[in-house]
Amino acid sequence: MSQGSATTGRPNYAAGAAATLWLLVVALPLWVLINATLKTRPDYTDSGPLAPPSHPTLQNYTDAVTSGFGRYLLNTLLVTGAVVGIVLVLVPPLAYAIVRGRSRATSTVFRVVLLGLAIPAQAVVVPVFYVISSAGLYDNLLGVILPTAAFALPVCTLVLSGAMRDITTDLYEAMAVDGASAARTFAQLVLPLSRGGLSTIVVFSALQAWNGFLFPLILTQSESTKVATLGLYNFQTQYGINVPGLLAAVVVSMIPVLIVYLFARRALIQGLMGVGGK
Amino acid sequence: MAQLTATAPSVTAPRRVRRPGGPNVGRPGIGWALPATAFFAAFAVAPLVLVAVLSMTTWSGLGPPQYAGFANWRTLLHDPVMRTSIWLSLVLTALGVVAQTPLSVLIGVWAAGPQRNRAVLSAVYFVPLLLSSAAISVLWRALLDPNFGVPAQMQWLFGDGNLFGHRSTAIAVLVFVSTWQFTPFHTLIYQGAARNIPQVLYDAARIDGAGRVRQFFSITLPQLKNAFITSVILMVVGGLTTFDTVLILTQGGPGTDTTITAYYMYEKAFKGFDFGTGSAIALVLVVASTLISLVLVRATGYDKMRSELEGL
Amino acid sequence: MNTRTALAAGLAASAALALAGCGGKAPAAADRPENVIHVLVYGDATNKVEKQIVATYNKTATVKVVLDTIPGADYQQKLQTIINTKQAPDVFFNWGGGSIQPFVKANLLLPLDDMIKSDPGLKANFLPSVFNTAVVNGKSYGIPMRGTQPVLLFSNNKVLKEAGVTAPRTWDELLSTVRTLKSKNITPFALGGADQWPTLMWFEYLYDRVAGPDLFTKALNGDRSVWSSDDSRKALTMLRQLVDAGAFGTNFDSVKFTDGGSPALLSKGKAAFELMGSWEYSTLQEASPDFAKNDLGFTTFPTVSGGKGDPKNIVGNTNNFYSVLKNTRYPDAVRDFLKLQYSDEFVNAQLAIGNLPTTTNTEQFLGQAASPDYSRFQFNLVKDAPAFQLSWDQAYPPAAITPIHQAVQQFFNGSIDVDGFIKAMQALPPAA
Repeated sequence: MSQGSATTGRPNYAAGAAATLWLLVVALPLWVLINATLKTRPDYTDSGPLAPPSHPTLQNYTDAVTSGFGRYLLNTLLVTGAVVGIVLVLVPPLAYAIVRGRSRATSTVFRVVLLGLAIPAQAVVVPVFYVISSAGLYDNLLGVILPTAAFALPVCTLVLSGAMRDITTDLYEAMAVDGASAARTFAQLVLPLSRGGLSTIVVFSALQAWNGFLFPLILTQSESTKVATLGLYNFQTQYGINVPGLLAAVVVSMIPVLIVYLFARRALIQGLMGVGGK
Repeated sequence: MAQLTATAPSVTAPRRVRRPGGPNVGRPGIGWALPATAFFAAFAVAPLVLVAVLSMTTWSGLGPPQYAGFANWRTLLHDPVMRTSIWLSLVLTALGVVAQTPLSVLIGVWAAGPQRNRAVLSAVYFVPLLLSSAAISVLWRALLDPNFGVPAQMQWLFGDGNLFGHRSTAIAVLVFVSTWQFTPFHTLIYQGAARNIPQVLYDAARIDGAGRVRQFFSITLPQLKNAFITSVILMVVGGLTTFDTVLILTQGGPGTDTTITAYYMYEKAFKGFDFGTGSAIALVLVVASTLISLVLVRATGYDKMRSELEGL
Repeated sequence: MNTRTALAAGLAASAALALAGCGGKAPAAADRPENVIHVLVYGDATNKVEKQIVATYNKTATVKVVLDTIPGADYQQKLQTIINTKQAPDVFFNWGGGSIQPFVKANLLLPLDDMIKSDPGLKANFLPSVFNTAVVNGKSYGIPMRGTQPVLLFSNNKVLKEAGVTAPRTWDELLSTVRTLKSKNITPFALGGADQWPTLMWFEYLYDRVAGPDLFTKALNGDRSVWSSDDSRKALTMLRQLVDAGAFGTNFDSVKFTDGGSPALLSKGKAAFELMGSWEYSTLQEASPDFAKNDLGFTTFPTVSGGKGDPKNIVGNTNNFYSVLKNTRYPDAVRDFLKLQYSDEFVNAQLAIGNLPTTTNTEQFLGQAASPDYSRFQFNLVKDAPAFQLSWDQAYPPAAITPIHQAVQQFFNGSIDVDGFIKAMQALPPAA
């Protein structure tokens, strides 16, 4: 599947120009990010955020890695993996029910999803704390995983049901005529055709878990359950931030998610290539 | 596709399994939705019920909540900051939709193309979404520092660079940064949808002599309708109920000039330790956002779960 | 099972769980974790000393200390969420004054007077003006545990020399210095207005100089009329005059202290002065070491002629404190842990990271501080101060922090006038 340029053969100059412009807008903060991490604090104060470093250094990265960040990243990895797992298990059947279900109940469920989308996490975090605490899961990664996954459900359901919606009825009818049950239709038709949506929700839920701050803050307390977003506070005090140090830790924690994204994107392209000829 | 239907009976007839007939054959029942719904109800909906209860109490987080009837609601009704916050929320959300949608559609469609360089660039465009709030806060405050950041280098454009000191420029900064941050999110949605558009449509159009622009408007855009609705719902509900960008950039300031309703809720609950009022504001947000998305869904026929490719 | 039943079941289960815990009674001492004491501190780069002290204590203790660090964002919120539950810490970091007042009111803190009786050093070894910040209703509730942070006037001596001015001793001198500096296109005072609390420091000092510390003490205790007194109006008018004279430049509301924006103005010579807490020194040592070594000056806030405040009064953060949970299981172990907060090891460790502890034995070690002259200056300042006004946003209960910050910011940028500010301050919840 491709757009204009492949079919007409001419390079799309307008799109190219716009893409380059947006690239500059996106890249400028990223330049500041990488640039700052290669400076010492005095160098950063001296040269400001924009100019390149006068004496580049990797000290910030060393500090980030040795400050116990490895532990935090591992915890974040566990939380993210579990959240993505829960989402992948719970959301596809839910989206399938919403898109293909015929009963009153399933359309009510869709409305509940919309309601869920509108619940701000900060409003319910204190009640969630009491739920988690009463369940004995305080200061436990599981206590962070469950609410994070629950709050990722509405967005993922909305996106995946959008993707499933694009499967046309005659494909379903073909399966029905074939005598397929709901389960077989799900496994043989719906899942393969929603690979794009699936990889999108993997990325979304992974990001939600990876950058989650509120739930870890309220629901954990000890070093052993600390996640990376909380660990960033090792680089600031009540009155100031060690900007290069903090940003180096940020870069270190970004790398795993970037890898997830690159793989998911592969799946996105490949999965849909397989549909070819539609 | 027509072929498939025609040959199906003759090929599969001998293997057909007897099933109770009717149009619901092969349709998922409510059982498919149960696990997710129960899980979600436990962690998000039940606490919401508590929030509703708390909105009728006075509670600082210490000691038991004290029943307060509608006192919180009455105070909110007369609170000028609350009134302004609603207006601010609507403005910021509207601006966000207007800024992000065209951008996400264009980039999403563009990124759906198979060219190699697009894959590399898409990865770069995606990075803002990977950054945590702390990172975005530090980066943009550094970039926009009036004395050492971009405004200092471009004084002809930014004047004294006091972007965070006036309401109008603070709003502009908020819209800009949230666009920078969330466009990749919506781009992914449009990208996925754009890839689903069958080549046959474009081929037919090209044969009819339609140019690239014409193809975009008469084929691509209509096919993106479902993606558009998903994206707009997410933007509207997200714009009304989240305040991350406000928290990390302006903290509702200067003064209360960028205090949107969701941020006001956070301020009341987390900084003012007034969970009663905070919960009341939260309830307002939840109800308003849900209503808006329900209306959107109804008006666009989204809940009929139809594919844009029907009839092909 | 249909949807409705499932939903209802899920809802009921969680609601039950939650209500069971919601704001109920705090668990008794016997229900608290066995053989450990949880110490909760503000998580930041200076946890080094806290970790060291905990390690020292654990070497000889039977009941071990577990140190938990909570990131600074919403620290108070996190604390308030857990303090009434079985996750409550035995000992926790706070800012004294208003930050512990809600806990005292809810009867959650252990008055330390008994501990002090069995070990008088727990009070006698600390500077009184600092120790008294954690005294509520006549009872002691906190032991100082980090360093003191008075607010000082810092200067870029190179800029001053080139402009031909010196640090002002009186308010009139300050105004004329502002005029001279502006004529040379130098911002007189760097101000991190975007953080709001740097702006507050100006109010704190000026109110103290003009009206003396009693005005604020009265306001804190519930007398709102003092905000509209003549002294209060005078202080506000003086501040308005200062802002209008361009003493802070025009873009201060977009400049932050916390990301180095305003210190950089000072160290790079774009501004001549900055009124800031004593941490400015260590901040600049890390961010601009050459400047800190050669051109950084520090002095006291100017006096106001005819003002009721003693010129030796100071404002700032008196210290941070450890308070103790009432239902702690091992009060004796806690007392022994708290005793370490005036030990020589503690003093040396704090001095090494640039903090100034407030114990009486600090004086002997000042020579070994990271910056001896600076530490000596600070220590004498705090020791000789008749009154050490705690930052307004820490003296009032935490719920008042946001309104105070908003009011000072809005006053400086002109959105509210003198009457508007008075009204805002009169609306604050009292500490009593």
